[in-house]
Amino acid sequence: MRVIAAGLVLVAALTVGFFVGVMAQLGYEDTPFLPGQRWRVHDGKRPQPPVVTPAPIPSDPPSDAIILFDGKDLSKWRSAWTGGPARWKVENGYMEIVPGTGDIQTVEEFGDCQLHIEWMIPEDVKGSGQGRGNSGIFLMGRYEIQVLDSYENRTYADGMAAAIYGQYPPLVNACRKPGEWQTYDIIWIAPRFEGEKLVRPGYLTLIHNGIVVHYHTPVMGLTRHRRFPTYRPHPPVGPLRIQDHGFRVRFRNIWYRPLKGYDGEPEWRDLTLAVFPDLPRHQSSAK
Amino acid sequence: MAKYGYDDTPFLPNTKWRVHDSNRPQPPVIWPGWFSTQEAPGEPPSDAIILFDGKDLSKWISVKDGGPARWKVENGYMEVVPGTGDIQTVEEFGDCQLHIEWAAPAEVRGEGQGNSGVFLMGRYEIQVLDCYENPTYADGTTAAIYGQYPPLVNACRKPGEWQVYDIIWLAPRFDENGNLIRPAYVTVFHNGVVVHYHTPLFGPTTHRATLPYQPHPPVGPLRLQNHGDPVRYRNIWYRPLRGYDGEPEWRDWTPIVMAPRG
Repeated sequence: MRVIAAGLVLVAALTVGFFVGVMAQLGYEDTPFLPGQRWRVHDGKRPQPPVVTPAPIPSDPPSDAIILFDGKDLSKWRSAWTGGPARWKVENGYMEIVPGTGDIQTVEEFGDCQLHIEWMIPEDVKGSGQGRGNSGIFLMGRYEIQVLDSYENRTYADGMAAAIYGQYPPLVNACRKPGEWQTYDIIWIAPRFEGEKLVRPGYLTLIHNGIVVHYHTPVMGLTRHRRFPTYRPHPPVGPLRIQDHGFRVRFRNIWYRPLKGYDGEPEWRDLTLAVFPDLPRHQSSAK
Repeated sequence: MAKYGYDDTPFLPNTKWRVHDSNRPQPPVIWPGWFSTQEAPGEPPSDAIILFDGKDLSKWISVKDGGPARWKVENGYMEVVPGTGDIQTVEEFGDCQLHIEWAAPAEVRGEGQGNSGVFLMGRYEIQVLDCYENPTYADGTTAAIYGQYPPLVNACRKPGEWQVYDIIWLAPRFDENGNLIRPAYVTVFHNGVVVHYHTPLFGPTTHRATLPYQPHPPVGPLRLQNHGDPVRYRNIWYRPLRGYDGEPEWRDWTPIVMAPRG
């Protein structure tokens, strides 16, 4: 057993050595360094990006995605009220809110990510304004992206579909009709705190049905109704929560990928000041 | 006008809008279009400016001589014709959401195959290359910001298959003296996978060197590189990226959000 293990280690070491050797030949080692960086231009030793296989069909999960809902069951979800089983309906590859059963949230907690989720307002939706197919996607259980039938249904701008609820309206209204599936592709950077102090706000990019409706927008704080948002410190991960607002709304194909940094860095970071230390500070993205 | 929101709620800190403000402008309504599949290109959104719809190169010119673009158009795509040079759009634009699809030649010829490039504003390159089981230096990989940043992951499809770049681009800004006040930023989805997020570019693209920014207008043409390989493109469109509430330009709201709240 030990011999086999030692053999495996040796093979692994040789393999790594081989690839490092190959990689060194792939690029250059006589080129200048990128300003202020540890890598040369076309650096043969710069790590190869991990290979990810994209799905054959648009919106389906790539090979490195963590699947939160695949259309079969709610095993990754629980009631946000009781912590018990999530009691929404699952049929025909989607989940549907059962009004009165409460919000549900993922068991899994995560932070910075690319998140994909699809939703649909059933064709027989009734009501108007906020009272028409209302639900919401709460990132980290706290920061809401509005779900609402905003197809030919007017409400206040910061409360329509794809709004960062109570803070920013979407750049455009890219809603599909009730009965059609809609997609949210989200890039989320969780806020960071040092003790009680906010050192970086949460940032949200949202693509609704393929259309950019928020780009790198700093969230103002916790989502609230009729009150202005403030931050309260929390860990850099949290569950994904979906709101039961008393309307039958359907969801499917929910997955995320942790968002990391370049060259194997564990976290995304804003590189502006690293790349341009002399930029006027008010013009750069904040730390 | 009917009242859809509130006028008794507090103001959002450091802004002119109340929470759920009745008077906050309604976002423009658009039709989002449909996604592409391998079999067929999708439909661009209703507010997109179409740069190539598969029929002709009327929106493109030769970079070399400003004359007609001489790449081949057939079966709904355009294809690089080696020796005819780069092509670029007549139209010039800046901050935008850009969609472009490409396919590397199905016949694998070895290293360096399927090489081309998408040059934003004619200057800043997102690499096009067949890196499916074909490694090269990291910052020259498919979807790299060439010579600057490797993609976060290699999300290549096989040669011959259609691949998608969805790009969010913020042009660099210079002051009246030509000093850089904001670098260019790019976000790229490659086949639906995030490979750059709000990444500041070091400067214009070059090979084996670095270049500082040179002042230029906030708009420029989209250029496609002829690197001698018969790479195909289809379904190219963009939408100008604007700000909230009818503001003409995207801006970073961080200073507003982080400012002391009165």
